[in-house]
Amino acid sequence: MTAAHAFVTSTGAFLPGPPIDNSAIEEVLGCVEGKPSRLKTRILKSNGIQTRHYAIDRSQRTTHSNADMGAAAAQRCLDHSPLPVRSIGMLSCATTQGDMVVPGFGSMVQAKLGIPAVELLTAQGICSSSTMAIKAASNALRLGEHRSALVVVSELASRLLKSTRYEAAGGLAAMDFNSEFLRWMLSDGAGAWLLESAPRGRCLRVDWIRSFSHADAFPVCMGIGTPSDHGDTRTWQDFPTYSEAEAAGALLIRQDVRLLEQMVKLGVDGALRLIEEGVLDVRLVEHFLCHYSSHYFRGKIADLLQMCGAAIPEERWFTNLYTRGNTGAASILIMLDEFLREGRARVGERILCMVPESGRFNTAYMHFTVVEGNNA
Amino acid sequence: MSSMVISRPAALSELGQATLRRLTREWFEFERRLAVVPILRRLDLGTFTREDYHRLLLNLRPQVIEGSRWISRCASSFDREHADVRSVVLGHAHAEHRDYEMLEADFVASGGALEAIRAQPRNPGSEALHAFLMFRAGEPNPVGLLGAMWIIEGLGEKMAASWAARVEELTGFDAGCTRFLRYHSGNDSSHMDKLYGLLDRVCISERAAADIVMTAAVVGRLYAMQLEEIDVNR
Repeated sequence: MTAAHAFVTSTGAFLPGPPIDNSAIEEVLGCVEGKPSRLKTRILKSNGIQTRHYAIDRSQRTTHSNADMGAAAAQRCLDHSPLPVRSIGMLSCATTQGDMVVPGFGSMVQAKLGIPAVELLTAQGICSSSTMAIKAASNALRLGEHRSALVVVSELASRLLKSTRYEAAGGLAAMDFNSEFLRWMLSDGAGAWLLESAPRGRCLRVDWIRSFSHADAFPVCMGIGTPSDHGDTRTWQDFPTYSEAEAAGALLIRQDVRLLEQMVKLGVDGALRLIEEGVLDVRLVEHFLCHYSSHYFRGKIADLLQMCGAAIPEERWFTNLYTRGNTGAASILIMLDEFLREGRARVGERILCMVPESGRFNTAYMHFTVVEGNNA
Repeated sequence: MSSMVISRPAALSELGQATLRRLTREWFEFERRLAVVPILRRLDLGTFTREDYHRLLLNLRPQVIEGSRWISRCASSFDREHADVRSVVLGHAHAEHRDYEMLEADFVASGGALEAIRAQPRNPGSEALHAFLMFRAGEPNPVGLLGAMWIIEGLGEKMAASWAARVEELTGFDAGCTRFLRYHSGNDSSHMDKLYGLLDRVCISERAAADIVMTAAVVGRLYAMQLEEIDVNR
């Protein structure tokens, strides 16, 4: 063996509470000013999500903290592995928003899991923060610094989406498509992957993890922290009090829907860069897991991909976004967990994961090969 | 003698596919350059004004008028071995050679003076773009100009799909003021089929491929410069 490798040897996922279907979303998140949303149906139709999970109950009380969910996913991941939790060398975590503002989310997850003297990392961002945490874990193993690294990614978006948040920011009068869009898109859940420097049973070899960020060229597409008034350049902590920031809409989560098409294009752009570099050969990819609905890649862009030999046939796509919801950074971990549990991955097959983050446009790609270890 | 009709191929050659991938990357590179052009950033951020729209039209018109000239010259530079290519380019020149009248009408409909837009000289970016296109169009069998069409036609579609409604939203002008921006919508697939057909026909050597991609890269940069110049005071 010439180069050190990293292998995904176990996975786990945790989704809080029962699945919530489209008709029951507002029973959980609440109706803003007591009125059902007029945009809900349209937005749900476009994202295609049928069921999701929330870590808040019908009175909008939190049922699981973000760290609780992360620890639960980690526990399930470790339940499938003989590796004792105390021997884990690195804990690499990611979330969009931890339960506490500081310290880092990883500290809270470590405390729940009780791993002693672990090397800790907390990646901050939105969806692609997961791939940052995975890459850091993989690199630590490949450098030979650790023999095992646990990646834990959890999201608790529903606390941002409950009706009281919108009422505090001006209510229905202050809401528009961009501020409501993510209310019908995001939900809660956690995923965990165990990475080890040696294969164990049927597992995934990490071939490469790459990403391309385009914040230099494009404005913010999804974010929290700026007020509803475009002319006001303050961010949330610049207000005299947090309540004034909230009243100005600076704590609402927003998506600039007009810029979303750029995410599809930049997703393709990154793949073409990797093809040009000789890193990626899409013809060899048997399974494609994408944290984005395939229907955004239909039409002209699909035709273009077909013509230039970079298309991945639809039957190779796998997703559980429609049944598990869009859990932000946790999605790709939850998706791979379900995919592997279905047992469709055969030894020698290649898996490509793609995580396009709309925040300020970061697209990440992970490539794995299914291998059979001999020390299972 | 080659067939007189160029149509969408069932599939592109390996070289054609690789070239299309490189052209697509050049298009994305062009879009990322456009995204930092001040007037287009204002369109994205929602601070674009009626004055911005007038400045945009004033600065686009010279290039739109010159556009029909380079395409006509390009057509006449193809020899008899490329008669099929010439036919496509001629058709294209005919379809677009009076676009500028629509642009002028939009300017007037949105409150501008016809004399003002007709008196507007080329900005330095338009000058550089025009000079480059006319030079390339005069070369024998200028297949590289397929790269120019790729960028300029792609931009036409982007104007229709992404700029027109946004301009109306931010300025309050109605669709009667944005006909030029909207002009390139509606025939997306036939236009892409034509480009695929031309690529299949002319991209038959590494040299042609490199020429097409380089021309797309230069045109994208000069076009972005033309739009950047809108915000340069002189």
